[in-house]
Amino acid sequence: MTAQTQTRPGGRPTRRPRGGPSRWGALARALPWLGPTLVLMAGIVFFPAGYMLWTSFRDLSQFGVDNGPAGFDNYARLLDFTALPRVLGNTVLWVVGVVVVTVVISLGLAQFLDKAFPGRRLVRLTIIIPWAASVVMTTTVVYYGLDPFYGIINTFLVDVGLLDRPYGFTRNAVPAFFTAMGIAVFVSLPFTTYTLLAGLQTIPPDIREAAQMDGAGPWATYRRIILPLLRPALAVATIINIINVFNSLPILQVITGSIPGYNADTTTTLIFKFIRADRQIDTASALSVVNFLIVLAVILVYLRVVRPMRED
Amino acid sequence: MRRLVSLAAAGVAAGLTLTACGFGGDDSGSGGDGDGDGGSTSLDLLVPQYSDGTTALWEEIIASFEEENDGITVNLEVQSWDNINDVIRTKVQAGQAPDILNIDAFSGFAKDDLLYPAEDVVSAETLDDFQESFVENASLDGTVYGLPMIASARALFYNQDVLTQAGITEPPATWDDLLAAATAVTDLGTGVYGYGMPLGSEEAQAETSIWTFGGGGSWSDGDTITVDTPENLAALEFMKTMIDAGATQPDPGATDRTPMLDVFVQGQIAMAVGLPPTIGQIEERNPELNYGIAPVPTQDGSPVTLGVADHLMAFRNDDDKQDAIRAFLDHFFSPEVYLSFVDTEGFLPTTMSGAEGTANAERFADFLAVLPDARFYPSTNEAWAATQGALQTLVGQIQTQDAASVLQQIQASADDA
Repeated sequence: MTAQTQTRPGGRPTRRPRGGPSRWGALARALPWLGPTLVLMAGIVFFPAGYMLWTSFRDLSQFGVDNGPAGFDNYARLLDFTALPRVLGNTVLWVVGVVVVTVVISLGLAQFLDKAFPGRRLVRLTIIIPWAASVVMTTTVVYYGLDPFYGIINTFLVDVGLLDRPYGFTRNAVPAFFTAMGIAVFVSLPFTTYTLLAGLQTIPPDIREAAQMDGAGPWATYRRIILPLLRPALAVATIINIINVFNSLPILQVITGSIPGYNADTTTTLIFKFIRADRQIDTASALSVVNFLIVLAVILVYLRVVRPMRED
Repeated sequence: MRRLVSLAAAGVAAGLTLTACGFGGDDSGSGGDGDGDGGSTSLDLLVPQYSDGTTALWEEIIASFEEENDGITVNLEVQSWDNINDVIRTKVQAGQAPDILNIDAFSGFAKDDLLYPAEDVVSAETLDDFQESFVENASLDGTVYGLPMIASARALFYNQDVLTQAGITEPPATWDDLLAAATAVTDLGTGVYGYGMPLGSEEAQAETSIWTFGGGGSWSDGDTITVDTPENLAALEFMKTMIDAGATQPDPGATDRTPMLDVFVQGQIAMAVGLPPTIGQIEERNPELNYGIAPVPTQDGSPVTLGVADHLMAFRNDDDKQDAIRAFLDHFFSPEVYLSFVDTEGFLPTTMSGAEGTANAERFADFLAVLPDARFYPSTNEAWAATQGALQTLVGQIQTQDAASVLQQIQASADDA
């Protein structure tokens, strides 16, 4: 993958299609092969998204009966929502915190797994296991472990003397939110680590050897040779993580679901509350649209500022 | 550059897929299989799961009904309480409402003009058998839409051993008694908490209602939702006093009812408000628990309890099905079928014939005794559903905020609905 990138100059592709009509001809010939994919994308991506946009401008009753157009009322109600700044702040903390910590830990783990050592296969397998378990399952195990009345983690902390009496980790907004972030990092590690590991393994050993011959120390080699070559893998890992973490509902739902108020909510869990508690399907749709725009903006900013695909 | 574009496109596509919320089509296919040929009708029945035995119980009822009514088939769908509101909302939005639904609140559907009036779908005989207070609670603007199906009331469960240990001889009857008793238990220093107050999102509205009703407050004056009233404020302030005095378990704001009652059953909480099925849970999980049941303590000791009724309702999908619906509902409410349902699920009956015949009479004597003083949620008010949601989401904040501002926030949600 990397080698291919390097051979292709940054400018225009050298082979150009032979001119207008035959281009359309090529498209027509390709259509039967592209067709199913296009239909699938229209059906499962663009139609639901369009329907969501449509819903956000409708006035829906609690039970989903359409009472006509609503203009921007649903969006206005969002702006009036007093907890919104806190929720947006939480969302930023949630996405940036989880993604950054995940990527940093994964970089270390991938580096470690890239080395040859006895039992490497077993260790690699161990790291992928959290991914095989359902997120709700993992989260529920932690939730019960932290329960102040019968949680094994809480009991342990009291037994070893770190706490005087069990603490409600999952009963207060701030500790619960950080607990949820920890779990989110834990379940994001396998995918990220493996993506980075795959990236590391595409780096030919002779490049490292060449760096060594030139007298570069391990840190300089890593920073100036390995990391730049890892950039495409890092970009994929980061973007997929941003989308995934941003839209993650189950972890926060399980850990902070019973906490009153909105101090532990992100925009995604707020959508859920609008539907479940407030029965406002239309406002929830408006927030979904906003949510989608936010994630789009975050990714575009990331691509612009970090320029992960830059080739130098 | 091309790579960047395709990556961005992939990002967009993935973002879209992950952000897109559910949808329902507009087709009004009411699954009308078999109408027109005059021979067979099929009814869709959507019910919540009350217990592990719910599905089998309904299957039995349907089997006996189909045997007596040739040509009518009933399709059963059982959903958990967690999901049923979402399921029904999605079905209604998609124009695929079930023919018969069992759920707590009916008024939203009635307001949207989706339901048959009760008199159109059950015989007069069945309708006359319901207890008066329940029929009233099942009406909207004078028309009965819901068929009261099961009832449940709350009472105070107390751990006799712990109270004795704390020197309390009588179960508390007033708020002040409760505060004193609960504080006495906490002061024992045995790690047992005095009073369990579940204000987590699971059922905060129930716990709060018990307190506001007990202080003479209410959630509605008939037309409007009245959350922010002096009576309700007094009740919330007393709850806050309980919390601040350490008379409750820690973090009541984030405690859900079901796990908390388990803690009571295990003897770690001295007093908690429970329901009829709590008796069964104690028998199953800790039969050694030495417990008693008393009326819910109120401000001045006068009896009040929270009553909850679930309803059966029939959706106006297809007029050809009305006779089949009537046949099924009359079958369900025929005394032997109805009593087997109520007794097996461990609820209180809502019919007069049922009250006489229930096998649970002795077991639930404490609950049947408080039933005449039961007050209900104002579920006929359209804004109640949103108010209930706001109570579930927000009321636990009294743990850290002042009661007045919490009430104002909930009132604002109710006004917004």
